[in-house]
Amino acid sequence: MDTTVLRHEMPPEVDGLPVLLDRLEAFAEATGIAPRAAQHLALVTEELAANVAMHARGASMLRVEVRHEDDGLHLLIEDDGPEFDPLSAATPDLGAGVEERDIGGLGVHFVRSLTRSAHYERQDGLNRLSALLDAR
Amino acid sequence: MQIAEHREGATTVAALEGRLDTATAPTTEEKIISLLDQGAVIVDMTGVRYVSSAGLRVLLKAAKQARTRNTGFSVCSLQPAVREVFEISGFDKIIPSYATRAEALAAA
Repeated sequence: MDTTVLRHEMPPEVDGLPVLLDRLEAFAEATGIAPRAAQHLALVTEELAANVAMHARGASMLRVEVRHEDDGLHLLIEDDGPEFDPLSAATPDLGAGVEERDIGGLGVHFVRSLTRSAHYERQDGLNRLSALLDAR
Repeated sequence: MQIAEHREGATTVAALEGRLDTATAPTTEEKIISLLDQGAVIVDMTGVRYVSSAGLRVLLKAAKQARTRNTGFSVCSLQPAVREVFEISGFDKIIPSYATRAEALAAA
């Protein structure tokens, strides 16, 4: 089994997101993740990390781990903010016109659409969001 | 995010270069909304290889503003990865999108 891992810890701030995206891009390139899969990984990670950075009051750390194992990408995002399951958000009305269209919930819609599976748990005072994505 | 502006008659073309994401959304939004003060806007996405929901929010806000002001707003030249994000979110149905800048200008 061929496994490579990326670990990135940052303060939960929007200013730190570009560096996270840079690191994900470099990791994808170095470990041979297909470009489309790398885009999906970046998008899912940013949506979840941005959610913590913008909404998790009192969080002091955000940790991202990506394990590339065979044809799968195992993503784990942890933060020490208040208990919150991002997967509990409702899916937006994708058929609404420009007037009625609300942007809320779109991030989690991407997470649901672009992952094989996603799971939330609260453990040892941490929010832990794990997801499995295609690497090809 | 780099934004280059070109005037084409009454329309402003804003060519974006970089990621349109959580970090770049606020300044990009401010710029595009201010350009709408001058009339119709086409956002050329040739140089954008990544858009997240925060980036889509910017485009939706601009489209709503344009409608309120009764002026035009469209995007053009979406990269394949960006097009996919438009499709998954349903934005391909609510924001006018053209394959090329010339087509967008012809429709403006």
